[in-house]
Amino acid sequence: MGIQINALKCTNCMACEMVCSYHRDDGFAFLSACIVAYRAKEKKDYFGVLLKEEDVLVVARPDGTEINKLGEEADPDREADASAKPMLLREGCDLCEDMDDYGPMCVAFCPVDAITLD
Amino acid sequence: MEYLSTDKILVIDLGAALVEEEEMDEALVEQKIGGIGITKYLYEKYMDDDPIVIGTGLLSGTTYPASASAQITAKSPVTGKVCHCPVIYKLGVEIKYCGFDYIVVKGRSDTPVYLWIHDGVADISDASDVWGKNVWESTDAIRKFVGDDLLQTMMIGPAGEKGSDYAQVCYNHWSSPDRFGFGKLFGARNLKGFAFRGMGMLEIAEPEEFVEQSLELLKTVKENSFLENKGLAPVLDALGEEGAKEWMDPVTHRHSADYFTPYATNTAFFLDEDPGLLKESKKEEPGVLISDIHALIAFKKLGLSASDTGQALKACAKYGIDPFAVATLGKKTGLEEITGSFDAITGTIPIPGKGLFSPWCPAGPVFNDFNLSGDDEISAWWERRQAVAMIFGIQPVFALMCPELTEESMLAFANIGTGLELTQKILDAVIDDICG
Ligand code: SF4
Ligand code: SF4
Repeated sequence: MGIQINALKCTNCMACEMVCSYHRDDGFAFLSACIVAYRAKEKKDYFGVLLKEEDVLVVARPDGTEINKLGEEADPDREADASAKPMLLREGCDLCEDMDDYGPMCVAFCPVDAITLD
Repeated sequence: MEYLSTDKILVIDLGAALVEEEEMDEALVEQKIGGIGITKYLYEKYMDDDPIVIGTGLLSGTTYPASASAQITAKSPVTGKVCHCPVIYKLGVEIKYCGFDYIVVKGRSDTPVYLWIHDGVADISDASDVWGKNVWESTDAIRKFVGDDLLQTMMIGPAGEKGSDYAQVCYNHWSSPDRFGFGKLFGARNLKGFAFRGMGMLEIAEPEEFVEQSLELLKTVKENSFLENKGLAPVLDALGEEGAKEWMDPVTHRHSADYFTPYATNTAFFLDEDPGLLKESKKEEPGVLISDIHALIAFKKLGLSASDTGQALKACAKYGIDPFAVATLGKKTGLEEITGSFDAITGTIPIPGKGLFSPWCPAGPVFNDFNLSGDDEISAWWERRQAVAMIFGIQPVFALMCPELTEESMLAFANIGTGLELTQKILDAVIDDICG
């Protein structure tokens, strides 16, 4: 079971990032999220979603999804976005195992259903 | 103020180069709730200094749907009235988390400065390197200097520095809802703008209930059929602008939403790039992000193609001038004439109602009718709806789309979030105070 992200549906609203961080912190913040709406390439209107899992970083881009093993550099050019770096320091997705009433928070709160649980 | 608050108000005196902090008093929230309830209070408190006040709504940056907005409250150098301009995109939420609930800026600096506000720290920084630069260059330069591409800015361009009545305070690289000439106000004070970065945390009085209720509300909001659409073309269509989609399609790239906002109220045009491109463009500046519905309509009515409209909007955003004023007051019809007319824009833009809220926002409901009928009823509703959205920090265009975001629900969430007992009576009094 895992999180699937359709970056073409994504509108970059950051809801997933907020609720993921909430599930760790019980407060409103962004820093603990293991899912991030990346938005560093603003002038190019190039956005998608990064998800840190246990051993991999899932990079859901509009042109396709890459799964990179942590610690291995995939494409230095494309991995350069500012939001990618602190991801490595964050805890991996636990599928919100402690959020009994919700299941995965990011799935529940994505307003355009761009995230699903498969 | 313990909950949904950073507990601090920042007061900056540009003339004396002084930065001070005040505590955010819970009693003030009990009396004025937040957003423009409090920015107006702070404007009046420091009225002798004719301040610029920036603040977030009580629900901004939470899990309440569309809790994206912050506000600028200041006296418009064009209308002479104290007005309120929404802060949109992802900037409102960055302000909420930067460590201060409200920011009061007094005085005039002797030399160009920008205010760098991050994680509870505020610096008056030298802007001599960016003074004279356009909005895009300034935002890029400050991001590069700080080394953070996610830093969010409010910036003026040449229009503000030269004192144009239609100078805008732009947000990051993009045009803003500022139709009040706040850019001129910044320029007159040698204030190039603000840079914000916020990595703070907000405590919630009843976190589980707040989040649970947010999801319930979101589920109801998502039943709206208009959420099957994205971007500005359906909005133009709903406002009666025929053929908008066909006109925009040849340059439309993607649509994006403000923070936590279910409808994508921004559309990007690709101008020097294939709009169908999904990969990252190799070009540095392939297009422009658009949120200004009326500017888009105004350029369309001038007979411009969507591509030329995009070029005009991009030029306006760089120069820091209100594109709607350029389209409607400039009386030019060719792209080159339009982009060459910025320094000559004069005249008056009608501001609806009592002139407090930006006509950037459509003047009535969008997609839903809210059971309103007749111009007077719609106009009174619009003014109240704008006030409510900017008290609580709700994206002001989405507030016009979504009937489920009621005053009752905003009050209920404010109470769950803060532990206070804010009532409809208090809200009515705050709205009366704002709208007169
Ligand atoms: S499932 Fe939970 S932990 Fe995993 S990304 Fe989504 S919100 Fe975060
Ligand atoms: S919540 Fe959905 S639309 Fe919003 S950023 Fe996350 S994936 Fe994208």
